[in-house]
Amino acid sequence: MGNKQTIFTSQQLDAYQDCTYFTRKEILRRFHRYRDLAPQLVPLDYKNQPEVRLPYELIGSMPELKDNPFRQRIAEVFSEDGEGNMTLDDFLDMFSVLSEMAPRDLKAFYAFKIYDFNNDDFICKSDLEKTLNKLTRNELTEDEVRMVCEKVIDEADLDNDGRLSLEDFQNMIVRAPDFLSTFHIRI
Amino acid sequence: MRRMSVFPQHGTALGNLGLTANEIRQETENNTSELVSDLVNLSAGARFEAIRSLHVPFNEKKTIRNRVNSVKLSKTILAADCRQQVSRSFRRFRASLASAMQHLVIWQDTLKEIGGRFGTSVLSYFLFLKWLLQFNLFSLIINFCFITIPQIVHAPNISSITGFRGLELLTGVGYFNKTVLFYGGYNGEVIVSKPAYNMQLAYFFTIAAYLVLCGVSLIYSTSRSFQKNFALETGPVSGGAWRLLCSWDFSVVNEKAIQYNKNNLAIQLKESLSERLQEKNKMSRSDRIKHLSLHLLAWLLSLGLALGSCAGIYFLGTNRELAFSFSHDPSDLGAEASTLLLPVVVSLFNLIVPLLYSLISKIESYSNPRAKIYISIVRTVILKMSILGILCFYWLSFVPTNISCWESFVGQSVYRLLIIDFIFCLLGIFFGEFLRNVIGTMCIQSLGVPEFDIARNVLDLIYGQTLAWIGIYFSPLLPVMQVLKLFIIFYLKKISLSMNCQPPKHTGRAAQIQTVFIALLFFPSFVGALSMVAFTVWSLKPSDQCGPFQGLNTPFHTIFNWTHSLPETHWVRWIFENILRSELFYYLISLIVLVITYFLWQITRGRKELIKTLREQIVNEGKDKAFLLNKLQNLQKERREMASYRPQDFDQTPHFNPNWMNTLPMDM
Repeated sequence: MGNKQTIFTSQQLDAYQDCTYFTRKEILRRFHRYRDLAPQLVPLDYKNQPEVRLPYELIGSMPELKDNPFRQRIAEVFSEDGEGNMTLDDFLDMFSVLSEMAPRDLKAFYAFKIYDFNNDDFICKSDLEKTLNKLTRNELTEDEVRMVCEKVIDEADLDNDGRLSLEDFQNMIVRAPDFLSTFHIRI
Repeated sequence: MRRMSVFPQHGTALGNLGLTANEIRQETENNTSELVSDLVNLSAGARFEAIRSLHVPFNEKKTIRNRVNSVKLSKTILAADCRQQVSRSFRRFRASLASAMQHLVIWQDTLKEIGGRFGTSVLSYFLFLKWLLQFNLFSLIINFCFITIPQIVHAPNISSITGFRGLELLTGVGYFNKTVLFYGGYNGEVIVSKPAYNMQLAYFFTIAAYLVLCGVSLIYSTSRSFQKNFALETGPVSGGAWRLLCSWDFSVVNEKAIQYNKNNLAIQLKESLSERLQEKNKMSRSDRIKHLSLHLLAWLLSLGLALGSCAGIYFLGTNRELAFSFSHDPSDLGAEASTLLLPVVVSLFNLIVPLLYSLISKIESYSNPRAKIYISIVRTVILKMSILGILCFYWLSFVPTNISCWESFVGQSVYRLLIIDFIFCLLGIFFGEFLRNVIGTMCIQSLGVPEFDIARNVLDLIYGQTLAWIGIYFSPLLPVMQVLKLFIIFYLKKISLSMNCQPPKHTGRAAQIQTVFIALLFFPSFVGALSMVAFTVWSLKPSDQCGPFQGLNTPFHTIFNWTHSLPETHWVRWIFENILRSELFYYLISLIVLVITYFLWQITRGRKELIKTLREQIVNEGKDKAFLLNKLQNLQKERREMASYRPQDFDQTPHFNPNWMNTLPMDM
């Protein structure tokens, strides 16, 4: 297991390994996927921590994300600037949380942030409507959309404030054991 | 750890409370220091697990990690620096070992592709297949190493009676009759060339060890799956909320599949909306009686069909099949081919009767589609297990008294069943999926593309695996066939899926159905096979002319002979005589297990009560939080309003107004 790679220092690789769910080899493979998105922007030498940020359009064109209805929200949630432009750290973080080794609480937290379109730490009715529209564009009528959102809030809102907090969402996730396998992007 | 999960709120929630930027910074800094000191006190493994699962952006995670490391470094004395190095290199070694093990995992890319195109519920079928393949590979390796190789190397060659003809591959007799493929090819002489190798003990212990390991692995998987997927299922879960927020499959990357899933979701949401409206209409009494009688009729029909197929198989077996073994004319190809009749009939029943069941279930009406799936699974399992049961009964009660070298005969029967089942599976893929797709898209447009029926396919796999487990005692190299079969089926199903089928529409509760399948693999399937093998080993007289247990009363007597050959004071003999053979031991064990079960059951009940109380507490705390936030916001509003007045108006001290005369009313 020689350190034949020259991209990162070993402290950097250790830090990545400690903070994500990837092994060294997987981190290098993810780095090469990141670099393949824009080889002219991403240097092969990360030892002095260059400030490289790939724009959202490149991230959203990855085959794993390009047809996902939530790709924009995913990129916004995991990016540092909140606009979807991701550094390598953000990229690794995103796929680490979406990998199969991340625990349920962590995934629930980020899923909550993804569905929270207006970033107010609550999933309110308008967030639900936007989620529903992303999932079923033209098949439901206005009335049906409204009824579905009301039904969701009825069922899941435990503290009766008319919107879903993180705890309500986590309570719902606990009763949906499929969530761990569906909230998962393979790369 | 709770504190970590709400750290930090990134300003918005704290900002709502009206704190200034400085106070927010101070609060965050306090939180971080507490977090770091918490982390420092954990063990290394738990610490990194905790860091990884923090709900903070990546840069903050790195900062926290660096701070924790520096605190750890400063706290420990210098000699512990090399302890840190050692632990770090140990962790690196473990990580590289894990990544090396990933190379051993077969089909990694294929499974990813299947998951990406068809979603997780279809992927679960292929994962189940891979799991069964692992069982069979393990069995193959240990059987080959411990039983077959010594037999081939040391024992005298048993010459074959006839030359090799093509039909052997299907029927397993003739050339294969006395080879190591079946029980009859092994003999029980203790091989006296050095090292001495007791074939009887080896045969017995290898098979026993494999079955015990399988059982342990199945129990472990079942209980883990149950715990993950069922244990927290309290309260009504009607399906609207989770369907919208938790059921979207992020791992699907194929554009057509995503569109398909979107359509499905829309249909399901509409269905659940209309269900909700229909819940109001209660069924009238006569309707309910009609539904119940339809259900009863359907159940009677299904059980009748199952009984009928069992009876047919039994009569066929006792009348026709023995014709070949009695004639024993090796060149009679016709009689040999007629032995294939029974397996073909069994496979036909296994194919046709479930289709009849699905027709029957159309006359019934179910309250929800999940009940329909579960009931069809139960009926199919009853059918398959009763067919296997009647076959086992036939093999264990009828065959030993009528045929010499009956174990080889049973092994050959199982071999034939497996091969014909494989051929029918291939035919099923061709007719059931390919042709049905062609018909559905070209000729009768209304039928549409066939759905990939996960339940039926998994039950077929379970049936095949039960046969393999039954056959292991009678034919130690049977896992070869099963491994080849599973390999080929994997690739064929994948190709057929891509070309012909579409994913199933109702994918709700995939995790629960997975648990049911794993439980089915344990309960009727493995337990049935194990009891059959145990009955054979315990009570049946092995055949006199062939096999490793010739001349004994029952195969279990090997153990008696072996322990009697050991000296009196040997610990194995002592354990065997005084513990394993005494009934008191088993009574005590049963009593202890029952008492422990009772205690654990009471603890579970207590915990359920606790969960209910905690849920109510969450609701109450939500109300408290709303009330307090409201009050706080009112106070803030008042404070802001008061701050906008002139300061003098708030001056509470008595204030002498020199113009007091002007403040008196005019008409005084």
